[in-house]
Amino acid sequence: YPTRPVDKDKAEAELTINIKKATSPEETAPKQKHVRKCIVYTWDYHSSLSIWTGLRVQPILSDEVQTFKALIVVHKVLQEGHPISIKEGQGQTSWLETCARTVSSDGQKGYGALIRSYVSFILSKLRFHRSHPEFNGLFEYEEYVSLKGIDDPNQGYETITDLMNLQDQIESFQKLIFAHFRHSANNECRISSLVPLVKESYGIYRFITSMLRAMYRRTDDQDVLEPLRSRYNSQHYSLRKFYYECSNLKYLTGLINVPKLGQDPPNLLDSGGAVPD
Amino acid sequence: HDSASSFKTATQNYTKGYSDAQAKVRDATSNDPWGPSGTQMNELAELTYNQQDFVEIMEILDKRLNDKGKNWRHAFKSLIVLDYLLHAGSENVVLYFKDNIYVVKTLKEFQYIDEDGKDQGANVRQKAKDITNLLMDESRLREQRRSRAHMRDRMLGEGP
Repeated sequence: YPTRPVDKDKAEAELTINIKKATSPEETAPKQKHVRKCIVYTWDYHSSLSIWTGLRVQPILSDEVQTFKALIVVHKVLQEGHPISIKEGQGQTSWLETCARTVSSDGQKGYGALIRSYVSFILSKLRFHRSHPEFNGLFEYEEYVSLKGIDDPNQGYETITDLMNLQDQIESFQKLIFAHFRHSANNECRISSLVPLVKESYGIYRFITSMLRAMYRRTDDQDVLEPLRSRYNSQHYSLRKFYYECSNLKYLTGLINVPKLGQDPPNLLDSGGAVPD
Repeated sequence: HDSASSFKTATQNYTKGYSDAQAKVRDATSNDPWGPSGTQMNELAELTYNQQDFVEIMEILDKRLNDKGKNWRHAFKSLIVLDYLLHAGSENVVLYFKDNIYVVKTLKEFQYIDEDGKDQGANVRQKAKDITNLLMDESRLREQRRSRAHMRDRMLGEGP
């Protein structure tokens, strides 16, 4: 497969170590160099199966921090790994459910609720991708998908609604994470789970913006779209607040550029309007 | 090149049996604090038009890009060289890195804080972002390669 100069046996052996280190018991962010190796592996070999197997054999379920870090790894692999990772992830729902079930009510370090909420978000994400296989894991903007949706307004309407449901779920999950910050403690591990959420929410936001604009261009009956527009507006304000709060977290802004949304939602009827970048 | 690290690179080039082209990439992307020179990059760009050299150069660039945090300069300087090769090297460089874009893309979250607490990863992250954007923008890449070739022809007095 790979056109890169690689060695499969070596890659497998290293992957085991990468997974182990990425899900270590220290209450820190999963080290990006190890997460990156997992992502690169899925592209080299067009498979994520060894990663799922690796996660299963690690004794992570007895430790809430390790479980939470494993979920961050899973989320990032689903986002940035080869598309096959999403398909193969759909076969892992029972393991994910086990993660949510095993942790005691709130855990000693307070990760219980976060783990359950993370699992439920990942399961929703997997369901979304199952019914909309044309999207990649980060919802990166591709014009053709938005055009495909508006050829059939009913399908477009449904897709936007599904995207908005996912966006709402990110919103409630991120609020829960902020609510679980501990004063006087290092919140790096919790903050690191916001990184993939910022990226994903922004990809979804961009998509919804461009799809809704296209729908407005195509339709004669704008009243039909009104419910979507008012929901879009309210999501804009929530997202703006979310990014503002993230922009105050120094650890996070050192890793990614947090988007800055305008005071008011963009005008969806302005057909020439650029998609935010 | 009189520093100990240059000497080490030179010794390794010899003992590990690196080819001339590979030794050139290793020199251009070493841990020395100064950047790869224009001459070095230009030479490498020329070499990518030869299939054998091309394969050897890609092998070392791949290794350097995947190096550990402490060697952030390897990754950073490899990205600088890559940027140059995408503009002035053979079409094969473009094809290879479009195919393996994830190697660059996943460096957008590269992390390394040095002993003095300075965030050296930021250099790598920014450069990885720029190159990813370039690789995904087919028309911009084409345009930049064209205008570069045009300028080069003019400077050599061969162009139209």
